[in-house]
Amino acid sequence: MTDITAGTSEPVLATGTSGRAQKRARPPRKPRRPLRPRTLFAAVAAYLVAIIFIVPYLDMFVTAMRPINELQQPNILPHHWTWSNFSTIWSTGFGASFRVSLEVAAGSTVLVLLVALPAAYYTARKQFRGRSVFLLLVLVTQMFQPPAMLVGIYKEFLSFNLLNTVFSLILVNAGFNLAFAVWILNAYFSSIPVELEDAAMVDGTSRLGALVRITLPLALPGVVTALIFSFIAAWNEFIVALTLNTTPNTQPLTVNINGYIGQYQIDWGHLFAGSVIATVPVIILFAIIEGKVVSGLTAGSVK
Amino acid sequence: MKRTLIGATAIVAVGTMALSGCGGSSSTSSGKSGGTTTLKLVAADYGTGPANTSSKYWASVADAFHKANPTITVNVQVVTWANFDTTVQTMVQNKQYPDITEGDYFSNYAQQGLLYPASKVLSNPGNLLPAFKAQGSYKGVQYGMPFTTSSRTLFYNKKLFKKAGIMSAPKTWADIQTDASKIKALGDTGFGLPLGSEEGQAEALLWMLGNGGGYQNSSGKYTINSPQNIQTFQFLKKLVAAGDTEPNPANKMRTDQWQQFAQGKVGMINGSPALVPIIESAKVLKDSDWTSVPIAGKNGPLTKTLGVSDNVAAFKTDGTKAAAIKKFLDFTYQDTYQLKFDKEYDLLPATTSAAKALASDPIFGPFLTALPHSIQYPSDTAWAQVKTNIQQNIGTAVTGDPKTVLDSIQAKASAN
Amino acid sequence: MTRLARALGPVPWLLPAVALIGLVVLWPVVVLFKTSFQNISPDGFVNGWAGLGNFRALFAEPALLSVVLRTVVWVVVVVAITMVLGLMLAQLFNVEFPGRKAARWALIAPWAASVMMTSLIFRWALDYTSGPINILLKDLGIVHSLGTNQTDWLGRPVAAFIWMMGVAVLVSLPFTIYALLAGLQTIPADLYEAARVDGADSWRMYRSITLPLLRPAFTVALLINVINIFNSFPIIWEMTRGQPGSSTSTTTTFMFQLKQAFIGESASMSVLNFAMVIVIVLVFLKVTRWKEQVN
Repeated sequence: MTDITAGTSEPVLATGTSGRAQKRARPPRKPRRPLRPRTLFAAVAAYLVAIIFIVPYLDMFVTAMRPINELQQPNILPHHWTWSNFSTIWSTGFGASFRVSLEVAAGSTVLVLLVALPAAYYTARKQFRGRSVFLLLVLVTQMFQPPAMLVGIYKEFLSFNLLNTVFSLILVNAGFNLAFAVWILNAYFSSIPVELEDAAMVDGTSRLGALVRITLPLALPGVVTALIFSFIAAWNEFIVALTLNTTPNTQPLTVNINGYIGQYQIDWGHLFAGSVIATVPVIILFAIIEGKVVSGLTAGSVK
Repeated sequence: MKRTLIGATAIVAVGTMALSGCGGSSSTSSGKSGGTTTLKLVAADYGTGPANTSSKYWASVADAFHKANPTITVNVQVVTWANFDTTVQTMVQNKQYPDITEGDYFSNYAQQGLLYPASKVLSNPGNLLPAFKAQGSYKGVQYGMPFTTSSRTLFYNKKLFKKAGIMSAPKTWADIQTDASKIKALGDTGFGLPLGSEEGQAEALLWMLGNGGGYQNSSGKYTINSPQNIQTFQFLKKLVAAGDTEPNPANKMRTDQWQQFAQGKVGMINGSPALVPIIESAKVLKDSDWTSVPIAGKNGPLTKTLGVSDNVAAFKTDGTKAAAIKKFLDFTYQDTYQLKFDKEYDLLPATTSAAKALASDPIFGPFLTALPHSIQYPSDTAWAQVKTNIQQNIGTAVTGDPKTVLDSIQAKASAN
Repeated sequence: MTRLARALGPVPWLLPAVALIGLVVLWPVVVLFKTSFQNISPDGFVNGWAGLGNFRALFAEPALLSVVLRTVVWVVVVVAITMVLGLMLAQLFNVEFPGRKAARWALIAPWAASVMMTSLIFRWALDYTSGPINILLKDLGIVHSLGTNQTDWLGRPVAAFIWMMGVAVLVSLPFTIYALLAGLQTIPADLYEAARVDGADSWRMYRSITLPLLRPAFTVALLINVINIFNSFPIIWEMTRGQPGSSTSTTTTFMFQLKQAFIGESASMSVLNFAMVIVIVLVFLKVTRWKEQVN
């Protein structure tokens, strides 16, 4: 049991199917016990919970479909439904913001993985002076969040002359999402027996080859977790983008959508239509990637 | 229209300016090539969408101007209101000055000698509405030139009034009290009182004026906890406690209350011309269902109401463009363009001649008559902080003890 | 390998990470500390040093103490409810039942949508005249009429704060549940078999097998939640602005309120926030004996 408690950082969030890299943790699938009423109860309870989680967002959708003159009417569903909020929003620079969001989220996620993978791998495999200092630094970074540091961030990018650029947002998002990625990847690499790599190296593969062919596939759930985490965080980031980028064609969706909160009125219809459109890519990403985790795991059993 | 920025913008805009005032390269392009001059204009966007964005307005002005003056080109950058302050401040920080701004006006730029005085860039600065002169002035010289203005009046829902059996417009606080309670009896909100951070400083001032109070006395000293002001909030507290307003006005936003009025659910509310398009777009109230009158005071309607302006400022940049700027501003301040702007955005003119031209308009008339006598917010350097403090805390004066709250705001104001 | 080569060994692997952290995270912290000792005008001009003036002004704020205490309540209550609910829901969604995949999908909605959007949805849904939640409550007979004090949840400080804590729990749950689900899957099934053979009931198995083995995942989720909730800005900002007064503010939103015009004082509020974060980190390290674990 000691080996399990040994990592504060046992892989978290390994998506639905299975988060295990180790062989020992894969029990044979057991036939279901005949506890039907209990399963039924669990299913009903779970559906209820799922509905509670989804209802606010359904309401967001419903409100986006409400004609403006029905906005304040006391019925939960509108009498008429309209798609006009969804169609008119594209004529407002929404598309450009969509692209910015995509660039920032994808760019910062790639940067995070490029920077975090070597650091996590090295700290998982090697003992060296400064290792715990490094890990502590990473942990502390996790504690600091942009809202508290806007003044400093702004001043810094002003002096680099990088205001109103997508690049600055990529950098900041990568910086603040790095900690979690290092952390989770470190945990995953630690959980993969070094013997697997050694064995491959005996067969004549280089260390790098072993890392790429053996370790990385096994760590795929961790990589995917880090990836989702940074993508979602960057996609939804608002405050830094609002501060650094003031020109419309460099503002991501969150800032664009917030623009519907106007000086004199709040345009709830467009606000929520934009929000719905902004949420869809994240859900799709999640859907695609959950499958990849499973196949990655199977493909990863190079033995 | 010093709008209160929604979202985190204001804060960020201002917060991010905690900079040492340096940084960036100082590349002020002269904008002159081959005998032509290029002017850079940064303007706030008053539109509610692509259909009526201010880009359109400014493009038409700039084109017409260029036709008349082929040697001068005006490049226009229109920025959403939420981003206007940050954009201008960033440009100034980077020393990449625009030539002209239209929107918020920053008095410290005048203080630092970055701006041309109005007399250098306008042929007839005397045509600017005198009521707004002090606000744009530093040491007696006017730098900020009002471009568009607005004043506050009392809107009321005639349909609800009729239903409640009220025959005449409210003129005094007593009227407001009785009318509001009658409307409340119908199940609607009597008086919409947005004292939340969005626009609390305006709402509070309108009531203070009704009792001969205000934020400052005639010599510019803050008098927020004056006996008149305390009495005002004691009255409001009673009004709130009786349920004659919306519930819990202390954190209610103007956007929401205006929306409620437009939906026909509020009997009376203080508004500006900007409320008109909101009423129209909600399609609940017909033009004959509402009207606007001078704001009710304790003993009678206000003769002086709150007026606010957005201003034009001209930056010196390399010091060679004053003549070009003057030509352009003279062109822009013609009555035609003033009125075109005001029609488009339901705002009021900023020049005496344009105001005269609009005086007979049925909707804008009442606002315009109020304009020349309007009261402005304080214009001293402490105001930004005082305003923030009022916006944050004034609402608690109708839930807690009015005197305590006003005392504490005053204490912070006079500490500056 | 020489000593030097060994000492430099980690550099190529770690340098990019250290550089990025230094550039994006640590530099702004330094700037912020500096700002907290500066005298800054509301529109951003630095007028020399303020000494301890900003801190003095901050500690003279009548609202400060209640804001700090409210922050503690906010973090403790939200995180506690999130973790307890998270444990229960992870257990529930670990049971195999038909349609589990779809149900798990629903769970990620509050995570996929930005917190700002979720907060705005609730601000809308709690509107005192026409918010869907109030309409529903009225249809259920829980509230009597719309547009009254009763339906004005966000206008009453205590009610508003409770609703906002609810939203905070909602947006924190997806990550927590998934973290705990992953933790549950690392527990070998044979342990349960063995315990069942020994005649243990489910509650006992939960207490003596599940909970101890779930500890690593639990600790990670706990820490991330504490940090995120402590730093949470959009929920309170979008729903009440921390008003009336500062009566629904936490230190993070209070800092933003100050930032509108009192920039130096706001920076000193940030510094105070950092101090609190450091305390949380120290407590965390102590409780989890982190150092022993990484080695």
